[in-house]
Amino acid sequence: MLRRTIFDGVLFGFLLSVLTAAVLAPTEEQLLQLGIVSVWILIFFALGCVLSGALTRLRVNTLGAVLFGPLAAAEPEDRAWYRLFWKWQLLVALLAAFVVAVVKTEFSFIELFDQHGFAGAVRLFKGLLNPNWEVLPRAVLNIVETIFMAFLATSLAIPLAFVLSFVCAKNIMQGPVARVVYFVLRTFLNVTRSIEALIWAIIFSVWVGIGPFAGMLALMIHSVASLAKQYSEMVESVEEGPIEAIESTGANKLQTIWYAIVPQVLLPYISFTVYRWDINVRMATIIGLVGGGGIGTMLVQYQGQAMWREVGCIIAVIAVVVWALDQASAHIREALK
Amino acid sequence: MAEVLLRVEKLSKTYANGVQALKNVDLEVQQGEFLVIIGLSGSGKSTLLRCLNRLQEPTSGNIFFQGQDVSQMQDVRDIREVRRQMAMIFQHFNLIPRQSVLKNVMMGRLADKTLWQSFWGIFSAEEKRQALDNLRLVGIAEKAPVRADQLSGGQKQRVAIARALTQKPTLLLADEPVSSLDPATCHVVMDYLRKINQELGITVIANLHFLSLVRKYATRVVALKDGEIVFRGRPDEITEEWFRRIYGEGAQDVAPNDL
Repeated sequence: MLRRTIFDGVLFGFLLSVLTAAVLAPTEEQLLQLGIVSVWILIFFALGCVLSGALTRLRVNTLGAVLFGPLAAAEPEDRAWYRLFWKWQLLVALLAAFVVAVVKTEFSFIELFDQHGFAGAVRLFKGLLNPNWEVLPRAVLNIVETIFMAFLATSLAIPLAFVLSFVCAKNIMQGPVARVVYFVLRTFLNVTRSIEALIWAIIFSVWVGIGPFAGMLALMIHSVASLAKQYSEMVESVEEGPIEAIESTGANKLQTIWYAIVPQVLLPYISFTVYRWDINVRMATIIGLVGGGGIGTMLVQYQGQAMWREVGCIIAVIAVVVWALDQASAHIREALK
Repeated sequence: MAEVLLRVEKLSKTYANGVQALKNVDLEVQQGEFLVIIGLSGSGKSTLLRCLNRLQEPTSGNIFFQGQDVSQMQDVRDIREVRRQMAMIFQHFNLIPRQSVLKNVMMGRLADKTLWQSFWGIFSAEEKRQALDNLRLVGIAEKAPVRADQLSGGQKQRVAIARALTQKPTLLLADEPVSSLDPATCHVVMDYLRKINQELGITVIANLHFLSLVRKYATRVVALKDGEIVFRGRPDEITEEWFRRIYGEGAQDVAPNDL
């Protein structure tokens, strides 16, 4: 009921906003007045909710009612699609969203096939496909730096994530104090994880200076948060039987974790960790773009000077390494199953 | 008259969801008995065993084990010592997969291990010898280096018995020890339980389903129904009538007597 109203409210509100914007054609100046705009949007949302309620009262099934229930009226089996309100509602909303998206992204075939721009793209691709192998030694040197940056970030993240995984597992953290710790840490890790490694790299490049160290720290923070979540989910899904058995021998809490839980989660842990290293190598190249060191930093330097043949060489090196690691980690993870 | 090893007084257990698993259960267990608890699934058998060693917290009542009141213990070290003395085996064996049989058996010694020793898995030669002796006792010593998950069900349960023996217990709690085994293996495992009961003098409390097994192995029987004890007596005292009263009208013993 509540979810239906909110969902329909948002949909109808969106359509009303689009219509109003199309009719009134506000200037950017006017759109930047957040206060007024939000009042308008709130009004539209409220109108949408009212509309949803009214339609239900009229025994018309809205999209929200179909999704979340309860239905306002029984759905006839044999009715053609164009005689169902909610299908029109979905179609119109999607169309409107598509139109808004096209306008917002300034989509233009003219730009895409503009002669001048097109010639530039051709020049770029010519460079990329005809790499200058003279920079290969430096590219290799840099990608080695990137690989080890990712490796160190993963290794340093393992012990932290390992400890956190037990403190963040619901089945271990029982009792009132433990629950508070669990909740606080979970929230903290969720926030940490929702900040992209790219952002962490920017933060650390200010903190410790531009270079591989900043990139490594950024990857490490992100890895700790991601691994801790994956690890703790494994801990939560272990079999209870062995835990009970070890407890019944008179073992204490830490012994129980070490003997009953760790053997059960070790292989998945290794599997996740190998995959994380693989992800970190890919991320490390991106992080280099904002000053995290390694091959990414080299890439952005040549790109800034429009030296496309050198960029082509770097991209080739990255592609080979990422592909090789991806294969290797897939094989290792397969073998660990 | 043998000595009383365990006395349970007015034991009740109500789960957080409101289910009353045990209602004022009174029970006395003598040293050296092979006591069997029967009853339908959900009658409270497993809960009773788990309250005895505090894997479950009793809601009210008292449990006296060798003169100590287990139900009132606050110090976790005391509870752990009680658990060591009341070893337990389970329906699904609950061995640690991917670890060797020998290591599984030695886990019975964890209660006496320091954190440092247990972290590095340090077990003395003496403990290793004891573990092997116990494996020999259940006739499975040759499997010591094998990974526990590669054994058959009956073998796993025997390893679990060996692990329990390594705790040097005075009482063995067996929670449906043969419920997931085939009839032939069933008897092998039950025979070993009787052996440790008679030869080592370890008191056994076992939850069982099959009446034929009860008649063959138990020295005394208690029947639980809806969390209450409805029958106490010798195994040969369970008549057809009692059986129906415990298991409900129309019930038939699933295991034939030739089992």
